[in-house]
Amino acid sequence: MDDPETGLKERARRSYEWGRLAGAARRSVLLLPVLGAASLCCPSPGAILAGGAGLFAVVTFCLWRGQEFRRGVRPGLVAGVVPLVLPVVVQAVGHLCGPGRCLLFPSVCGLAGLAGGIALGVLAPHPREARGIPFVTACLIAALAGSVGCVLYGLFGLGVMVLGLLLGAGPILAARRA
Amino acid sequence: MERLADGDRASFHPVFAALWPVLRRLATRSLGPDEGEDAAQEALVKVFFRASEFDRSRNALAWALGIAAFEIRTARRRRQRRREVSPPEGIPEAAGDTAPTPEAEAMARDLEATLEEALGDLRPEDAETLRLYARGDRAPIAAATFRKRVERALARLRAVWRTTDGRP
Repeated sequence: MDDPETGLKERARRSYEWGRLAGAARRSVLLLPVLGAASLCCPSPGAILAGGAGLFAVVTFCLWRGQEFRRGVRPGLVAGVVPLVLPVVVQAVGHLCGPGRCLLFPSVCGLAGLAGGIALGVLAPHPREARGIPFVTACLIAALAGSVGCVLYGLFGLGVMVLGLLLGAGPILAARRA
Repeated sequence: MERLADGDRASFHPVFAALWPVLRRLATRSLGPDEGEDAAQEALVKVFFRASEFDRSRNALAWALGIAAFEIRTARRRRQRRREVSPPEGIPEAAGDTAPTPEAEAMARDLEATLEEALGDLRPEDAETLRLYARGDRAPIAAATFRKRVERALARLRAVWRTTDGRP
C-alpha cells in the first residue's frame, strides 16, 4: 500500500475511534441527571461525584470498546438503577441527612441492592461467555451505579447494598449454571 | 460494517479496502481527479466517524454512498461559491473560467451514462430529477418542491439499489 493511502487509513482509523468515543460519551451523558440529583441530596457530594465519575467513565469505556464490553452495559445499568434511584428518592421525599453524613435508614440500600441483584442474576450474561467480560462488566456497572445511590448512607449503606446485590444475584446465577 | 459498528477493530481493514475504491471512483467521476480525491477522503473519514451509528437494517454500501453523495454536494457548492467570488483587483479572470471545460463536459457525459444505466428501473420523471440534481441544476419549480422530488427519487433509487445489491 502506498504512503498516501497509509496516511488516509490512519486518519480513518483515528476518526473511527473518535466517532466511537463521541457516541459513547453522548449515551453516557444520559446518566448525568440522575447523578446530579443524587449529588444534590447529600450535603457532602464528594463521594457521590467520585462514584458518578467512575460510573460515567466505565460506561463510556465499555460503549467505546464495544463487543463483549458493551454487552454488559445494559444489564448492569438496569440492575444498578434500583439501588441508584431508590435511596435518592427516599432521601428526597423526607428522610433528611445530618450535616456531613447520612448514616440512617440503610435498609433501603439493602432492599434496593436485593432487587438489583435479582435483576442482575436474571439479565447478566453467562459468567463463562466471552471469557467472562460481559458478566464482570455488568457486575461492575451495577455495583458502581448502586454505590452512587447508597453512598448517601455512608460506607455502611454501601456495604449493605453490596450484600443485597450478592444475595439477590447469587442464587439465580447458581440456578442458571445448574 | 455491522462488525465495525459493534466495535470489532479487526474488520477495519476489510471495510477500508472495500469502501475506498468505490468512494474514490464516485467522487472523481463527479468532481474530477483532484477535488474528487479530496471529497472521497473526507467522505471516507466521515463514514468511519459515523460507523458506530450504522443501523444494521440498512444497506451498508447505500449508507456509505449517501454520506459520499453529501460530501460531493458540499464540494460542488464550495466550488460554485469560489466561482461566484470575483478575483482580486489586478488579477485578470481566466478566459472562459465559468464555461465548462472539455474535460468537465466529458465527465458530465460519463456521469450521465452511468446514471442512465442505474436509473433505468426508475420512472422517467424521477430519472430526470436526479439527472438535473447530479448536474447541480434545478427544474423550473420552487426549490422546496424540487428538494422533495429529489428526496423521493433518491429513496426510490436506494430501493432499486438495494434490490440489485449495488449492481444496477
